[in-house]
Amino acid sequence: MTNPDPESIPSRDDLLQRLELMEAMIAEGRGFTTHNAWIFVLWGLVDLAGWSWQHFVHTQFAGAWAWPICLIAGVVLTIAGKALQKTPPGVPNSIACGRVLAVWAMMGLAMAIYVASAMITHFTWQYSYVAALLMMVGMAHAISAVILRWRVQGVVAAIWWAGGAAIFFLNSRRATSDIMLIEMCLGMIAFGLYAMLLERRRGGHWTNKTA
Amino acid sequence: MTDFDTTNPPRRDDLVQRIELMEAMIAEGRCTTMRYGWIFLMWGLLYYAAIGWQMYLPAGKFAWPVLMVLGVVIIQIWRWRALRSGRNHESPRSRSIGAVWGTVGCAFFLYMGAAAASHHIQSPAVNATVMFFLGLAHAISAVILRWRVQGAVAAIWFAGGMAMFFAPYPASLIIFLVASFFGMVLFGLYTMMLEHRRAATLVQHHA
Repeated sequence: MTNPDPESIPSRDDLLQRLELMEAMIAEGRGFTTHNAWIFVLWGLVDLAGWSWQHFVHTQFAGAWAWPICLIAGVVLTIAGKALQKTPPGVPNSIACGRVLAVWAMMGLAMAIYVASAMITHFTWQYSYVAALLMMVGMAHAISAVILRWRVQGVVAAIWWAGGAAIFFLNSRRATSDIMLIEMCLGMIAFGLYAMLLERRRGGHWTNKTA
Repeated sequence: MTDFDTTNPPRRDDLVQRIELMEAMIAEGRCTTMRYGWIFLMWGLLYYAAIGWQMYLPAGKFAWPVLMVLGVVIIQIWRWRALRSGRNHESPRSRSIGAVWGTVGCAFFLYMGAAAASHHIQSPAVNATVMFFLGLAHAISAVILRWRVQGAVAAIWFAGGMAMFFAPYPASLIIFLVASFFGMVLFGLYTMMLEHRRAATLVQHHA
């Protein structure tokens, strides 16, 4: 199974074993995502708070500090939540979990550097900046969806990408704001709640392939 | 291997087997990247060709679309030939690496296509985004394959993306050329050299 030599032909049992292992890893990876689904809901709410603060409170302070404060609060809440989160017994640290974690961790790192650079240099008003944010989140969902063979997450990725492309073509501040609102509600909060529901139904059975 | 029952903690042999499997998968994933190393080199050279065409040849506005599509066509032909000849060996980890690069490619084309069609292409945010997309793909691959060299390449692309925001707009071309040289051309040559060495070792092993 672990022989990378291209000339060796694996036996039927070997192939079956590998298939079972892959299916189990995919189920574990999905379980890992649903176990951490509250993070999607949290970030949806954090983004909604930032959006509402900037949209409804027309002060200079809100304009300049709404997003930095909300994003830092989001990071702090995520770290605190992870520290407090109870991990059910028997939770595996499988290869698929590691890969999904790698995707989201690196996406978070890239977004943090990208957003911080754009904020410092005052480029956040550009449509291409907002479109890139949606594209990056969509990319993380899409990679995760392919790794976990999860159609629902694939649809969520498509929603994010469609929003990113639409921002370019609609080319207005109002439309950009509306798209952001839709993405936060559908791509973050609704998907997070759906995944949390799955986790609740599974009751912590991480290797359940039917989820 | 996949039994996570808490009442029966895994035995030492099980753990050793699991570690061996993980190491083998990481090695397989790296081998996949090495086999595809020429693609990095090709894209780096295509970037240079596109910039050269845009600057010095007629119909410069077609340079990027034509050469980017050409790159995709070359990769698809190569993949199709590899599939036909049965050289396409897939492991879970190499499939993940394929997922990362395939998805980043889709996002890249969608983003650049939309930006170009809506006349938003000449903006620092677009230039920075391109570099962040490439850096993100390298970073995810580096973490999955536990490969420091690729992590350094990701850092180069992220640094380039940051520089796009901070540097004056005319400097963006130089930043892109430098990042492409280190992050595509040099990394491609490095992976090709590793693949060459690996192939030579395999031949010696079978001899």
